[in-house]
This record gives sequence, C-alpha cells and structure tokens, in this order.
Amino acid sequence: MPRLRVTRRLFWLVPLALLPLPLYLDQYRQYVVNLMLMYVPVGIGFNVVVGNLGLLAFSNVAFFGIGAYTSGVLALKLGVPWWLTILPAGLMGALAGCAAGIPALRGVRLFYLAIMTLAFGELLRWVYIRWVPVTGGSFGMSVPPPSVFGWTLETEGHKFYVFLVLVVLMVVLTDRVLRSRFGRAFMAIKDNELAAAAMGIPTDRYILLAFAWGGFVVGIGGSMYAALVGHVTPIAFDLTELILEFAVIMVGGLGSLLGSVIGAAVITAAPEFFREWLGFQELLFGLLIIAVILFLPRGLASLLARLHPVFVDRYYRD
Amino acid sequence: MPEDLLPNQLLTARGLEAGYPGKQILFGVDLAVAPAEVVVLLGANGSGKSTALNTLSGFVRPWAGSIRFEGAEIAGRPPHRIFRRGIVQVSQARDLFPDLTVEDNLRLGAWARGGAVDALAEDVFRSFPRLAERRRQMVRLMSGGEQQMVAIGRALMGRPKLLLLDEPSGGLAPVFVKEIAAIIAELKRRAIAMVIVEQNIKLALSIADRFLILRDGRVTQRQDIRAGAADEQDIVRSIYL
Repeated sequence: MPRLRVTRRLFWLVPLALLPLPLYLDQYRQYVVNLMLMYVPVGIGFNVVVGNLGLLAFSNVAFFGIGAYTSGVLALKLGVPWWLTILPAGLMGALAGCAAGIPALRGVRLFYLAIMTLAFGELLRWVYIRWVPVTGGSFGMSVPPPSVFGWTLETEGHKFYVFLVLVVLMVVLTDRVLRSRFGRAFMAIKDNELAAAAMGIPTDRYILLAFAWGGFVVGIGGSMYAALVGHVTPIAFDLTELILEFAVIMVGGLGSLLGSVIGAAVITAAPEFFREWLGFQELLFGLLIIAVILFLPRGLASLLARLHPVFVDRYYRD
Repeated sequence: MPEDLLPNQLLTARGLEAGYPGKQILFGVDLAVAPAEVVVLLGANGSGKSTALNTLSGFVRPWAGSIRFEGAEIAGRPPHRIFRRGIVQVSQARDLFPDLTVEDNLRLGAWARGGAVDALAEDVFRSFPRLAERRRQMVRLMSGGEQQMVAIGRALMGRPKLLLLDEPSGGLAPVFVKEIAAIIAELKRRAIAMVIVEQNIKLALSIADRFLILRDGRVTQRQDIRAGAADEQDIVRSIYL
C-alpha cells in the first residue's frame, strides 16, 4: 500500500499546524491545550496495556503519580532542572509498570487483576501521604517552574512547545513498538494467550514489556503534569483520576493509538465546552461518554477509520 | 529394549510421569519418534494421550522422566523454547487467534522461528486453496474444518521438525475428515515427523507407521504396522476391553 504510506506522512502536518497555536490563545486556553497534550501519553500507556495487550490492569494512575512525584522530588529536593527529570520519571513509571505486572505473570486475570492493580495504585497513594519528608504528605509539594536547557518555561505557550515535542516522540515511538514484533506478540497474547505460547511467544516476557512500556509513557505524562500544574498532591492520583483516564481510552478507542490521542483531546476539552451549562457539566460529560460507548464501542477512532483507510490502525501488516 | 528406544531417534521420551495437581495421569511412558516417522497414540478417554502430547510440547511439566529432542534434554522447558527447537503442537481446541484474519494467524505462526514469512504463507495457501480464498476472513467466522486447516497451516509456518496433532479429525464433518486425512498424508510425504492422537482408528491406521496404545497412563501395546496392516477389531478390543 504505497499510496497510504504517502498519506500517512501527512500526519506530520498535525503537529506542524499546531505550532502557531500559542499566538492565538490566552493563557487559560493554552493551559487547557497543554492539558490535552499531557493526557496523550497518559492515554497511550494505558491503552497499550488494556487495549493492545488486553489485560484489565487499572494501575495507570500509579504510573502517572510516580512520574509526577519523580519529577517533583528531583526538582524540588535535589534542584534538578525539569527537563532532566523527564527520563527518570519515565523509567520510574516503567519500574512501577513491572511491579504492577507481576500479578499478571502469576496468572492473575480479569477482575482479580483489575482489583489487584487498583490496590497497587491506592498503595502508592498511601505512600505519597505517609512519606512526608519526601512527598510532602497530603498537602503535596510545589514544584519549581520547569526549565529546559537553562531556560525557564514561563508561559503556557513555552510549555506547549516542549509538550508537543514529547507527545510527538511518544506517539512515534509507541507506533514503532506496536508495529514491531513486540506489538504482534501483544496482539497474539490479547487474542489467545495459550495459542501465543504455542506459537513460541514467551508470553511472560511480553506481558512485562507491555507493562513497562505503558508505565514509561505514562510516567512521562506524569512528569508533564508536574511541570504543567506545578503542584503534586496525592489527591490528583485517586480513583476519579483513574476513571477519567479510562474514559480517555474508551472514548478514543481501545487498542488504537490514534484513539488515545483523540480521547485525550475530547475528554479534556469536553468539560470546557459544557461550562456554558453551569450545573449540568458533569451530567453532559457523563452522557457524552455513554453515547460514545453505546454507539461507537470501538471509540471515536473507529468513526475516522470508516471515513478513510488512512485512519485504520495497522499494527500487524508490515 | 523396545525397538523405538534405539539411538538415532528424533525424539526419545523415557519414563514420563506427569499430571495435574492431585492427579497423576502418566505413569512412566516411553515413546520415540524417528525422523519422518508417524506415530499414532491410541487409547480410551482419560488414558493420557493428550497429556502425553502436552508434556512433549511443554504445556505440562513432567514430574519425572526425560525427553530428548535432537540430542538435547527438553523436559520441563517452557513451551516457547520447545517450539523454537521445532516441536509444534496443534491442540485439540485448535487455539487460533479468533479475531485475526487467516493470513495474520499464519504469520503469527512464524513469529518465533522467522524465515521467509511471505514465501511460507504462499506455500501454505498452495497446500490449502480453501484458505487462500479466505485469507482476509476472520478465523472465528470459519467452520470447524476450515479452522483445523488454519491451525495446521499455522503450525507449518513454524517449520516444524516434529508436529504434534491432537485429534485432528475431532468434531469435524465427514467431508473434512477426508480432507484432513489427505493433508496429513501429504505432510507425511514431505517427511515431517508426527505424533498424532486420534480417535478415528481407520484414519489413524491409514497414516501411521507405528501405533502405541495407552491405558491409564501406561503404554500397553506398541506395534509397527509398516510391514502389515493391523487388525482394527483387535485394536479396538485392546483399547477398551
């Protein structure tokens, strides 16, 4: 399909088209756009584990929190400039991913895995609250203004450009992973784990790898959170946040990279649109999610896929 | 020493004991397969035929005994390692990837062993024209017989040295039983060694070089039928009576 390959290159126009955005947006709107960007890696990582690997693991908020706290602690306690904390945040997220994936290696599946991974997230929240000298306890910590190569990111517009680079990087890398042997192994495990093992796929190793990659990408999202919000508290990583993140991938499209991007944008933007109907915001937001799940069980990405084959995820075909 | 325990075998299993928590199934099974040889396992339900195959492929860990494949000990190794050595199993449940297309199922068959994937797939499609017509179809939408073809085709993608077939004719319409029998005969002509568990004795004897009868986890009879055909009635008697 050489024609499609050319059209897929056009995806690069999306970030390019976004470049002048800070010229047109006020600080608040720019903040909302940055929030959207932050939720892209958060959704991508979640989707790799739940959508592509197919395991009901709800520890995403743990990876997110670990990433945020890693960046926060490194910046506040050790004075490390923010941009140098991004990679450690991702690595800590990957580590947390491996830890959360251990029950899955012991054969824990479905609701049991869901509950154990939920517990993992809550356990980390307990750590954030109790480990006061490092995390600042329930009040959390204020993170110094983020800086990159010695420049401080003073405006939301500055953060936007750094975030855009990170998001493009995460999308491209995850696309690579999903289209490689790794992605094919994830897909095989999702469809039939026993058959995957019978085809010579070391399923344990690939389950752990999916968790690690998911945790890494989400951890970087956490680092972006620390830079964007400037304040890291345990309450930001609670069950409500987890449900929001789950909504991102459900509305965007389970197992779809494009879906993670769309979901992040829609779920972040929707409450802003509903602001006009004061008092009904949550209701409308809930209705939106229900409507998408009812009428588009494969998410908004499936709607685009119907419009043009360029939007179809191609994780298997080489 | 039984003749099938002589050296120069492709696979030699000795004293295999295996089972599931709280229940031993195999009580010291000896089994050998020479290159290009077809060995059929016969036996009543619960006699341990499938467990024997699952032990060879690594899905069941043997409690005792040894399995040597091309000179290397493989007993207790994980399934993916055994697969990479060239022992490929087609399980009774066929264990396909139901939401993927025929072609993707085949391609995943070559995941671990690599090779010229496209050429291998075309080769399978030549042997199974019925699959070629349906290469973009989701496997869950296919009949049992077609799924069995996908399962065998996918196993071939792994370029097996030893193919383990668990009830290849199980639950299939008579037309498909014939077709599957023809396919197995073709694999035999290509000199692929096979261990086959089969309830259909007529089919089993038509393709076997040798057969073993299992009873309560022990081999009660073994016979080479290359020299002369075995008596079907006799075999049925020794399986069930």
